[in-house]
Amino acid sequence: MTQANDYETDEAENIQAPPRRGLFRRRAAPLLPEAGAAGAPLTAVIAVMSFLAVLAMASLLMVNRATSEWTSALRSEITVQVKGASPADIESGVDAVLRVLNETDGVLEAKEKSREETAELLDPWLGEGNAAAFLTIPAIIEVKAAPALRDNLDLLRNRLTTAAPGATLDDHARWHDRLSGAARSGQAMAFGVFILVMGAACAISIFASRAGLAANHEIVSVLHLVGATDGFIAAEVQRRFFILGLRGALIGLVAALAALVLAGLAVRAGGAADNFLPSLRLGGWMILWLAAAPAATCLVTALTARLTVLKTLSKQY
Amino acid sequence: MEAVRHDNREIVRFEKAGLAYEDAPETLTDVTMTLKEGEFRFLTGPSGAGKTSLLKLIYLAHKPTRGRFFLFGENAAEAPREALPALRRRIGVVFQEFRLLDHLTAYENVALPMKVAGVNQNQYREDVSELLNWVGLGDRMHANPPTLSGGEKQRVALARALVSKPDLILADEPTGNVDPAMGERIMKLFVELNKLGAAVIVATHDLHLVQSIGKPVLRIANGKVTRSAGAGGAA
Repeated sequence: MTQANDYETDEAENIQAPPRRGLFRRRAAPLLPEAGAAGAPLTAVIAVMSFLAVLAMASLLMVNRATSEWTSALRSEITVQVKGASPADIESGVDAVLRVLNETDGVLEAKEKSREETAELLDPWLGEGNAAAFLTIPAIIEVKAAPALRDNLDLLRNRLTTAAPGATLDDHARWHDRLSGAARSGQAMAFGVFILVMGAACAISIFASRAGLAANHEIVSVLHLVGATDGFIAAEVQRRFFILGLRGALIGLVAALAALVLAGLAVRAGGAADNFLPSLRLGGWMILWLAAAPAATCLVTALTARLTVLKTLSKQY
Repeated sequence: MEAVRHDNREIVRFEKAGLAYEDAPETLTDVTMTLKEGEFRFLTGPSGAGKTSLLKLIYLAHKPTRGRFFLFGENAAEAPREALPALRRRIGVVFQEFRLLDHLTAYENVALPMKVAGVNQNQYREDVSELLNWVGLGDRMHANPPTLSGGEKQRVALARALVSKPDLILADEPTGNVDPAMGERIMKLFVELNKLGAAVIVATHDLHLVQSIGKPVLRIANGKVTRSAGAGGAA
């Protein structure tokens, strides 16, 4: 300001150090005032949204993992059942079936399940030990098949039926399809909840940013009059909402992780079937996926605030 | 202001402009005037005559409801929103009611125009400090406006208006809250800035001030702007 020099007084000789950013230095205040107590409810709501988003994401991951485990087990195995009028018929049928299987390319392993094990499968319905006493238990041969063979089982099915008329081949397709259908429903539901949570975060952000603009109308007006662009003001609001959102997202993430760990411990303590209920082991990638949910909530909140501000300001002069 | 610009370049031009707030009668009627680079005008008139409204039109707080309005050669009345910030950055305004941001310090308030323009703090830090020292607020740099007196606030507002070295300076009763000595210093600063090329409009009730500076006067009464022979001649 050279033009001011003509009017400098003694005061000018003692120029104070202006505020500077940095450690141990005064930090410049944001151009929009801190939300203070008004920010707490918004942080709380975003924390709840993030909590729900993490749970929705965890559900999605659990369903995915369970489906993957179940269907891969089903897809890698086929079962051959050999029925007969008498145990001798069944024995000869089993021999013929094993011969065919051993000669077939793509059969990785063929193993007959013992009759005792097979009979035990019927115990829940017939009572312990009763199946073997009253029924001719069919033989069950578990076969591990290569993918190429699984994709074309008709030829093997015909050869088995020719070798042993009582032999039937089950590729578990019916169960696989049902499981896949159920899994898709579960995935769609979890994804739907996730989208709803994001939508709710959007709505809250729109409401809060409009209220914030109204409350800071004078400040926004001054910023405009000294030459601020809408983008500059929107960036200030976005930064504010990002910080509030980040705070809420972290609270929600920690709370959700704690809830998941507690739920996991409760399931384990209750002795729920380890092999049936899907598990959620919190490994590296799993944590990243779960953290993505609150991060998305935070970003959606900040971006929505920015767009809302831009739209609102565009209606002003 | 680095160089004196050509005298014939128009900074402000109104052609039969009018301003009405919503459905109320026009506050300003048939305003036709020009202000060229390097010109200085006092704007006088009774309270409620429309002085502040005219300044608001010029600093782009309102749009004329009719007529034409050119600012720095741009058709400001029809300019798209995106063009307005660049025009506003060329204007320094000392608002009558100061319009300081209470949550910012005096330093941050003064630095505001530079910050919104995206200027690095290293480039304006000394200018801001120097200006605040010049207006006698070097020791109140970190004070927030609510802790300042009316006069101190006015001086912060003055420093904010000048920090970006604007091409057009608008001041609405800039000496209303300061002592006579400071008022004289402020007016002399406006005159010096005007000599360096900035166009200046000062709205004031203080006829003694108008006479002592000796610059042309625009009179406004009942929403109409008239020219009166000031000490420096008619506009």
